[in-house]
Amino acid sequence: MGMRAGARLGNGAAYLILALFSVLTVYPILWVFLGSFKETNEFYNHIWGLPASLNWDNYVRAWEMAQIGTRMVNSVIVTVSALAILLVVSTTAAYALSRLRFPGVTVLYALFLASMMIPSETTVIPLFLTVKEMGLLNTRLALILTYAAGGLAFSIVTLHAFLKSIPHEPEEAALVDGANRLQVFAHVILPLVRPALATVVIIQGMHFWNEFFLALIFVRDVALQTLPLGMTQFFFQYTSDWTLYFAALSIVTAPVIALFVAMQRQFVDGLTAGAVKG
Amino acid sequence: MAKQLETTRGAVGALRTGKRRGAAARRTAVEGYALVLPALLLLAVFILYPILYGLYISFHKWDGFSAMTFVGWRNYVKAFTSDSVFHQAARNTALYAVAITIGKNVFGLLLALLVSRKIRGILFFRTALFVPVTLSYVVVGLLWAWIYNPSFGLVASGLEALGLENWVYPWLGSASTALWAVVAVEVWKWAGFHMVLFLGGLQAIPADLYEAAIVDGASPWARFRSITLPLLKPITFISVFLALNGGFVRNFDLIYIMTGGGPNHSTEVVLTHMVSEAFQRGNLGYSSAMGYLLFLTVAVLILVYARTFNRGGEGGR
Repeated sequence: MGMRAGARLGNGAAYLILALFSVLTVYPILWVFLGSFKETNEFYNHIWGLPASLNWDNYVRAWEMAQIGTRMVNSVIVTVSALAILLVVSTTAAYALSRLRFPGVTVLYALFLASMMIPSETTVIPLFLTVKEMGLLNTRLALILTYAAGGLAFSIVTLHAFLKSIPHEPEEAALVDGANRLQVFAHVILPLVRPALATVVIIQGMHFWNEFFLALIFVRDVALQTLPLGMTQFFFQYTSDWTLYFAALSIVTAPVIALFVAMQRQFVDGLTAGAVKG
Repeated sequence: MAKQLETTRGAVGALRTGKRRGAAARRTAVEGYALVLPALLLLAVFILYPILYGLYISFHKWDGFSAMTFVGWRNYVKAFTSDSVFHQAARNTALYAVAITIGKNVFGLLLALLVSRKIRGILFFRTALFVPVTLSYVVVGLLWAWIYNPSFGLVASGLEALGLENWVYPWLGSASTALWAVVAVEVWKWAGFHMVLFLGGLQAIPADLYEAAIVDGASPWARFRSITLPLLKPITFISVFLALNGGFVRNFDLIYIMTGGGPNHSTEVVLTHMVSEAFQRGNLGYSSAMGYLLFLTVAVLILVYARTFNRGGEGGR
């Protein structure tokens, strides 16, 4: 009896603390969404509550002023291209490194593994110079290639571990039947590694979509900027029209949160699995 | 080599003659190199080459346009002796890293203990607490710059609503509080991530251990000390490692957006100082040297951390 009362009290306290922390994580974001519909005066006078009416005008103006259309297209191009390159290059490499036996295979794998230990932020200056000397400064290609390269180690290690756990028989059978290496790769291996590919796509895709540091250093041209960089430019450029800022931020944030809520399990599993592996 | 080939290929290999096996091995090798080559090329050009190039530049004086001049160790000496901003940036970086490591892990573990309870509606809380993890640093940085705004921000108006307008303060705008204000945001963004890490660890602990301890009359605190904490050691190792590493090398975005390193260098970290030296003052050699110092510091620190953590008991992996 006493114990059950204690447990109930414990649960009550747990609810209370969790509710408090959830308000702390969710309300600021909600504040932005609600604020994005307010008139400027209304915003300053009623900072907390619901908007009096749904004022979409802020969205129309923010979309134009922040050039969200152009910047979103750039973000999509960069993220999709970098992911495509990363997936092709890292699955083929991970396949060879995990399942074929040839001289130097261990050294090559160790090289990719070791590159994971180098924080890319510390080599950003020589990377900038490398990109500059290749004539890629101020291009989307600079972002696409450096993002793909930055994702290599994680991607190869994840896929390598996964491929090691798959039995060899289906592959051997296909080879005996006269399939060549590429056919085996495409028809036997690729379908099997899909779960690991999903992890790579979620983690790296999110990283590419959000990346700011390299974009800031490589891209000056407004027409080529991705969303994160474009947002900061927009906010540093104009001062004080908060309702517009909030509308712009809502446009950028809403799809990400919707995607997260829809695919929660994949997000959480992918992120934590990736972290534990790294 | 040949032996391995035989064992892995058992059935197939047995049917082949030695000569054909040699040819097959050669073909496998060619295929292997061809499959690895594209990834290797990308790695070589954008990761390995810049590392070596950076080391080379760090021994030179260079603005990126005119000719490079070799200066020996001078850039490194400058960092250690005459550049007081670098000293402050290094101190701030260490302080920031330690503070966020403590914050993220304490809150992460606390929240994990709460959301590991089997009570109704717990999935809602897990989702709500994880949301900031999915936001980009740009979004988080801008959002919190507004929240901290002393005239219209959420914190200020909250304090005013409570009748505490005297407490309103330019948190980001004053040197004594700015770094801590950014630390709070970084912890806010990642606590949910560490919560999920610890939650995984908690769920892997067999329930009968707790049941046996309850039968033995162990208090909740004793159960936490003698069962939960020791069994969470492997996941704690990873969780602390991620926070510490991130604190040193993933701090640029948030600081650049929220304070730009100011006011008066109070939030300057090595990465922000590095970027302004390179792109505002054109000291590419000196900037590269700072990058190397940061890299070496983190590498040594991680090694020491892994050693001491694993020595203090049988934990680790």
